[in-house]
Amino acid sequence: MTITIASLIPSLQNTNGDAENAAVLAARARWAGLAARVVQVESRDDLPDRVDAVVIGSGSDSALEAARDVLRTMHDELRRWGTEGVPILAVGTGWELLSWGVERDGVPDLEGLAILPGRAVPRTERVTGDLVVDSPRYGVLVGFENHARDYVQAEASPLGRVRAGEGNGRGSSQEGVVMGAVIGTHLHGPVLAKNPVMADALLAIAAERAGLSYAPGAQAAVVDAYAESARHAQLRAAGVGASVHPK
Amino acid sequence: MRYAPAILVGRLTRFAARLRKPGGGSAVPGLVVNRIAPNYLRRTLSGFPQGVVVVSGSSGKSTTTKMLVAILRAHGMHVFTNPSTANISQGLTSALLEQADWQGRVPGDVAVLEMDEGHGALVMQGVDARVVALTNVMVDQIDRFHDSDMVAGMLAKIASRAGEAVVVNADDATLERLAAGLRPDVAVHRYGVSDAVLAASPRGLGYTETNAARLPDGGGVVVESVDGSSAVLRDGAASVDVGLPARGTHYAVDAAAAYATAKAVLGARFSNETAAAALSAIPAVFGRGERVTVRGQQVEFVLVQNPSSYQLNVDSIAPGTEQILFAIGSDVRDPSYFWPTDASSLGRVAIVSGSKAAEAALMLAYDGVEIDRVEPDLARALDDFLAAPAPASGVKTIVFSADSMRRTRAHLGLTGAE
Repeated sequence: MTITIASLIPSLQNTNGDAENAAVLAARARWAGLAARVVQVESRDDLPDRVDAVVIGSGSDSALEAARDVLRTMHDELRRWGTEGVPILAVGTGWELLSWGVERDGVPDLEGLAILPGRAVPRTERVTGDLVVDSPRYGVLVGFENHARDYVQAEASPLGRVRAGEGNGRGSSQEGVVMGAVIGTHLHGPVLAKNPVMADALLAIAAERAGLSYAPGAQAAVVDAYAESARHAQLRAAGVGASVHPK
Repeated sequence: MRYAPAILVGRLTRFAARLRKPGGGSAVPGLVVNRIAPNYLRRTLSGFPQGVVVVSGSSGKSTTTKMLVAILRAHGMHVFTNPSTANISQGLTSALLEQADWQGRVPGDVAVLEMDEGHGALVMQGVDARVVALTNVMVDQIDRFHDSDMVAGMLAKIASRAGEAVVVNADDATLERLAAGLRPDVAVHRYGVSDAVLAASPRGLGYTETNAARLPDGGGVVVESVDGSSAVLRDGAASVDVGLPARGTHYAVDAAAAYATAKAVLGARFSNETAAAALSAIPAVFGRGERVTVRGQQVEFVLVQNPSSYQLNVDSIAPGTEQILFAIGSDVRDPSYFWPTDASSLGRVAIVSGSKAAEAALMLAYDGVEIDRVEPDLARALDDFLAAPAPASGVKTIVFSADSMRRTRAHLGLTGAE
């Protein structure tokens, strides 16, 4: 049994390296002695028969509509995966596309796939910088944010509470949205490498659904030590001191 | 006479700045002059009899600018150019002041300016360029330029200042779209690579979007082939052999850009032999595939500035290279955008260093690279790396970001080019 991780439209949705989270999941699965592969899904034809986890990264605004149109051809699958509990990590504009929709200044709103509650609304100014989140599920999440829109109406089920940075914005002090095992977040780049607790939680779900069991391998401990140093450095930079260890 | 008082103040400021920091080039005199004579920069730049030539783009602009200046000088032109670190208003004004007479006049036939893609549009306000040359659109420094749309928009603003011609990389689809939107009275000149050169770069050339088709015969200056640190440029019927400042296809593309731009500037006065001789005479560039002897050890330096140069340079390191020091500094604020690259060919890295050492180690580890040691203190890492015995084969190789390069150079007492 091979764990199959679908990376959706990486040609458009990998501006910040967020699509590499698929490779992070595959690497950690292999370190745990499980067979794993990443399937790049550029169109519906690329969809594998079985999908154990899904990653969609962030893209540029000019690609927003094209990416949405590709995702629409997989609407049924996305909805089914979400309902069945397949872990889906959606970052930045990839998350926005799974929402109810994206509001834009000067251009018509873009309807999303409505897999996740809430919608993206324009900010007056782009926000870039460190983002630190206290997550009830995954402990302290550390990463970078870089987005031109806030996210509203996710209040019922955020990923966590913002300790540094902007997150969903509009004064909500919240970041991200979670529904089942579907996660939307502004934490871009290799968020799963930087936050191995979240990576392992998603892998454990994927493995269990596949009738396997997941326990982090020895190499994960070596690599997670680098992640821990990087987290420390970034927490210092973000001015967040205490309780940096994942819970 | 108009600027004599401002120039005097600028000179005094420079004198004072040098007392404080001997040898240091400072942007402060430019800041002062821009404040008391806000039109000085624009008027001085507009005063060169053969106009202003601007080089901008994501990557390769420093090398292209140096090559272009060398070609123009070899044709007997008197060229004013800015050091690559002085490409915002105050730095550029400071650079002009270095050359200015007491009235602020700067001698020269033509100004060749390297423009930062982010600051260029602002600096160029009110300044008309004759020719604008654009290298490529890549996404680097993600916290400055969040995506390629933004870079393309800024380059379009710079290109719109061109009165005579714009020179574009025809392999870069974003630049071709930009060229299609120019005023009809502005000529478009092109350069690019051949199918064979593209095919020899299995990961492509790193542009955000690469054009499907290569330049047709007679469509511009084409890099026909690259062999180590030499290349052949095809210019119409002529085949021109050129030497490059270091190994690598991107240097050949820079040479084609400089060649095509010089041709646009010089018109009928252009000689491909003079251009080839000038290109071939450019010395090797520090920090870019250069080998030097430091503390009795042969060391190769590899500079990484953006994901594509990172990938090209990592690919060019011979597999099995025994001793690698990998240093990423504070210039890489958020290394996320480097993650799509693949450094697995390095196999093993002796020391990962720099202020972003942990982030770099994390990325290398997920590429499957073994890491012997993480040492954030670059000075200590360099000392230990150089003190270790020489490798049985190959040379010690230091891969660094620009910030780590500067610190390395300072720590090892290396001066010179750049």
